[in-house]
Amino acid sequence: MQPTRRQMIRSLAAGGLLLPGMLSELLGHQAYGASDPLSSEKTHHTPRAKRVIFIYMTGGVSHVDSFDPKPELRRYHNEKIADPGFCKGADWDFHRYGDCGMEISTLFPEMGSIADRIGLIRSMWTDNGDHFGASIAIHTGSSNFNRPSMGSWVSYGLGSENRNLPSFMVISPGLPYGGGQVWGSDFLPVAHQGTRLRPVAQPIPNMHPLAPGSLQQTELDMLGYLNRQHLMGRETDPNLSARIKSFETAFGMQSEAPEVFDLSGETEETHALYGLEPGSRDSFAWQCLVARRLAERGVRFIELIDTDSNSGNNWDTHGKMARYNELAKNVDRPVAALVKDLDRRGMLDDTLVVWTTEFGRNPFAPNKGATGRGHHRHAFSTWMAGGGIRGGVTHGKTDQWGQHVVEGKVTVHDLHATILHQLGIDHKRLTYRHAGRDYRLTDVHGRVVHNLLG
Amino acid sequence: MDHACLTLPRCLLCLLLLLSCGICAADARKDEAHFERHVRPVLLEHCSACHGQEIQEGDLRVDSREALLQGGSRGPAIQPGDGNGSLLVAVVRHTLTDLAMPPEAEPLTPKAIKHLARWIDRGAVWPAKMPLGESPPSAKIAHFIKNHWAFAPVAENNLSRRKDRSKASDEIDRMIEAKHASANLTPSRPASPEQLIRRVTFDLTGLPPTPAEIDAFVADVSPDSYTQLIERLLDHRAYGERWGRHWLDLVRYADTAGDASDYPVPEAFQYRNYVIDSFNRDLPYDQFIREQLAGDLLNSADDDERWRKVIATGYLAIARRIGVSPHAKKHVMLEDVIDNMGKTFLGLSLGCARCHDHKFDPVPTSDYYALYGIFDSSTFPHAGAEHKQRRENFVYRLPAEELEKVLQPHRDKLAPVLAEINELRDRRKVIRERPEKKEEFDQLNREIQKLWGKYTKIAHDFPDVDMAYAVSEGSPHDAKVQRQGDPGIKREKVPRGFLQVLGGQTLPEGHAQSGRLELASWVSDPQNPLTARVMVNRIWHYHFGRGLVRTTSDFGLRGELPTHPELLDFLAGYFVEHGWSVKEMHRLIMGTAAYQRSSESIAANELSDPGNLLLHRSSRRRLSAEEFRDTVLAISGQLDREPAGPHPFPHKRTLHYRQHEPFQETYATNKRSIYLLQSRLRKIPFIDLFDGPDGNLPFAERRSTSTPLQALYLMNAPFIHEQSRAVAERIIRETEGDEAGIDWAYRMLFGRHAGADEVRVGQEFLARAIEAGASAEKTEDDFDPKRDAWAACVRSMFASNGFLYVD
Repeated sequence: MQPTRRQMIRSLAAGGLLLPGMLSELLGHQAYGASDPLSSEKTHHTPRAKRVIFIYMTGGVSHVDSFDPKPELRRYHNEKIADPGFCKGADWDFHRYGDCGMEISTLFPEMGSIADRIGLIRSMWTDNGDHFGASIAIHTGSSNFNRPSMGSWVSYGLGSENRNLPSFMVISPGLPYGGGQVWGSDFLPVAHQGTRLRPVAQPIPNMHPLAPGSLQQTELDMLGYLNRQHLMGRETDPNLSARIKSFETAFGMQSEAPEVFDLSGETEETHALYGLEPGSRDSFAWQCLVARRLAERGVRFIELIDTDSNSGNNWDTHGKMARYNELAKNVDRPVAALVKDLDRRGMLDDTLVVWTTEFGRNPFAPNKGATGRGHHRHAFSTWMAGGGIRGGVTHGKTDQWGQHVVEGKVTVHDLHATILHQLGIDHKRLTYRHAGRDYRLTDVHGRVVHNLLG
Repeated sequence: MDHACLTLPRCLLCLLLLLSCGICAADARKDEAHFERHVRPVLLEHCSACHGQEIQEGDLRVDSREALLQGGSRGPAIQPGDGNGSLLVAVVRHTLTDLAMPPEAEPLTPKAIKHLARWIDRGAVWPAKMPLGESPPSAKIAHFIKNHWAFAPVAENNLSRRKDRSKASDEIDRMIEAKHASANLTPSRPASPEQLIRRVTFDLTGLPPTPAEIDAFVADVSPDSYTQLIERLLDHRAYGERWGRHWLDLVRYADTAGDASDYPVPEAFQYRNYVIDSFNRDLPYDQFIREQLAGDLLNSADDDERWRKVIATGYLAIARRIGVSPHAKKHVMLEDVIDNMGKTFLGLSLGCARCHDHKFDPVPTSDYYALYGIFDSSTFPHAGAEHKQRRENFVYRLPAEELEKVLQPHRDKLAPVLAEINELRDRRKVIRERPEKKEEFDQLNREIQKLWGKYTKIAHDFPDVDMAYAVSEGSPHDAKVQRQGDPGIKREKVPRGFLQVLGGQTLPEGHAQSGRLELASWVSDPQNPLTARVMVNRIWHYHFGRGLVRTTSDFGLRGELPTHPELLDFLAGYFVEHGWSVKEMHRLIMGTAAYQRSSESIAANELSDPGNLLLHRSSRRRLSAEEFRDTVLAISGQLDREPAGPHPFPHKRTLHYRQHEPFQETYATNKRSIYLLQSRLRKIPFIDLFDGPDGNLPFAERRSTSTPLQALYLMNAPFIHEQSRAVAERIIRETEGDEAGIDWAYRMLFGRHAGADEVRVGQEFLARAIEAGASAEKTEDDFDPKRDAWAACVRSMFASNGFLYVD
């Protein structure tokens, strides 16, 4: 059996292996120094959300087949009305959902069931039409340059609520476009980088002790002794004590993290809600349920990436839109379940859930009878729920084809500004000095989408 | 919209918003925003040169609301509330017969005029107390040359000419100690010989001293034992592997291109090895600069030397590529080239000037495009990308004709196979995702697969001719300024040349080369006030953990001031005077008492000099990621000290990656960490965890954070467990008895003998560990209580501060 962190600290103390001053610190309030990169920071205004769950669909989800109904496209299906090509009507019908009557296609009936919780944006716009550029843009604000990810900015701005877990965690079965850049901290301190989890037995690397418990405890005793010897005459060096503390925290993570991923305590009903087969990690449902558990434990920014280990198997359906049936089935129920589950646990109020993708798909096809759709950066849909978002509201509009935004354009910077705003951060004031200038997540852009805020 | 850089008015707006406090009414904010977006830039760009602070044509100034209200010889320029009735609008609209503005230039666009009128209509709101903007770049440059320390010539110091190095080292100590005296600091005593040899060995080689080396050094009482130690280490190949790594950090070296598919660059390693060799040969730094910027254009004694210099331009070639069509975004790559060159050699960030005159430093946009023209006149290799798989513009060693002779027969064999493959691929494309054609589709797949095998075989039989990821001359031309960094909007042409603040040299008109050769000489000119200062400061930084200028890649206005300006200039003078020899700088700096001090703290000192800015003691430092890994491998006896050649990439003619299937291999090796495969999209988890570089951004100063994930790594990572076990086996094999084993481990890991108490605690620990291991469930087959206890002991030592920190 693993000793608990508290037992461990007591044992170190009893063995005289901890400095007297450190004991109270470790057992009581964890007083970390001002230099600690993860200390909790004050917000600029009263936050509506404490944490974010960012759900990211890789490949570019077709807006005109999911959240942005365009009857005209169907009416002129396979006709060449405008220059861009032949109209291609949606392959799925749209229904009105909830009291608000939000129109969502039959691809996402479960998401439809939470329509009254959703603040929908039908007017997203991004500046790059390639997966790589658009993927890093929705994460970092820049499609061309390496910049820190939004989760890193949030971690940098707000710090951690739980010392035993990283403040920014990303569940990504495969590598998304752009690789580790999408959760990289770039010039921000590496403590703010996203920790990638995979749906395997050991989701956080090096989390499971390789040495038997009692041996590891002996080992840590020895480490305590060595560090204490070393500290003699070097007491004034804060780096040395910070490092000693990092082992205490690591030990805490080692004890706490396995429990996070142990879903055996979740009821059958909860499993069913998410559509998760007990013991399975193969579906998006696992990611969603683990996300709720991470949120409960105070992880600040949780990102769920829908990407197969074969990153080609995603929402990038140039060839066959019909693949959406299977892709949607994998995410629809668990995503809706996550929102419902947070709601019934009273956590939706301070958890902001964001569902998005890197760009939309083209309403027009180059030839008649095309079965797929190309990339489309000029319009796509995104929704948010919880964390002070008004449910049942739709913001922005595209033209009758879903080709261009005609009202309430929301750029990736605007989305970022809005997310930060809900966390109590003024996106213009969250800055980091690098290479001689102050950088922001939103560069010199970004307007909060007030329309969606309650 | 490919540009994502700051634009001048937007940046001002952002500054303004940051500066302003209090809540403005929404309307006022809107008006201010309108002014910033549409009015300020127009006044600045089209009017202020003749109607500003310095010159007031017609007695008019346009740099404040008051000035416009007051107007000039023709009366008030604006009537708030009446745009169309205002003189300003009339003259830019060309409705007056006798006065039209701006003179001898394109008239303003109707849209710009409409905005001016609207601004006046709405009351001509001018945000409080904000002057119009900056003076023209030329005035700014003159101002900074006069006033910013880094642009002033390096101060002469006769002592730096001295041949007697120890006198020069003393001179450095004198300058440092003068500051101690004025701050009432008592410097720490000298480090012990054990501490010193550990520090020096890690600093110069990134590896620990062996126990035998420590013993010899401690026992050697001759006066020159320390200088001999330094000489021995400088001669060691490991020296170049350590200092070459510093350089690779700066130039964001990677083995892949960084595009959306992260194409491997099998030839990049040659530049990496060139850097290591250059440090080992002590290639004079000015020559090192010239070779990296223009090696292909320099004279050479023989073909080997010529080829080495071609490889040196890999510095330029390894610039970051981005997206699926990097070849179509040369302007984005060139920003990385120019920005890196500025930071690395000159300590200036030039990237900002791509879109607008630099906000803080005297680098106007025209300077950026003067440099841009030079690089745009050069040809960069293309390593492959999703939208252009074919590699091109690599540099071959053989002359073209000979090369043709060698390669043509093989190309002739390859071409028909490729044609066949492409034909089948086209056929396959048509029937993709059509269930009724599945059989045919599968058949095609099999045929393609077969042909691909044939293709690969032919590719592998190609003669292995030398080629380099290097740049070559393109068609020489001047570049046009790109408005706000957008290559689609071209402005005036700028002659190729150098930064105005550093002399503003230009190429003669019609110059028949790119200008890289001239650029190389401008950068490496001893009269250039930045180049030597920046490099000696870097060397100082790597030795002391902090530069005399803390911001080692920013000597501009936003950088920090030198703590010891006189010393910095002394070092720079000495560097140039001694043939730009980096090794000579090590000898000089490491010869100082300042470098050899102990790192112990004295309470009174910490109060008056808390950050040790005045160098009252030596600064303790954490081992870098690479030092940590190399040392662990060295102690386990598994470090392969041989230099590495190419990575085992697939054959270069068979590379085929897409953003859906990017390159993401890893290749295991026990060689030194500098030889690890550095990809750009996929980080090396261990290096990344311990604050190492990722090949995307230049790393001038490494951080050394302490995170729980690092601690978990040290507790539980398979690498640590394997290595500790190997060390344990060594201990059991090479020593007799626990006491000797513990002492051996202390000597190997901490560089000192174990004390009596430490031996005793170690023995107790081993006993407890054997017991703990014995009582645990046996999960592994090769359970060996003694070895496992030793391994646990070694693990805790690897995790300890005594191992990870160098005093």
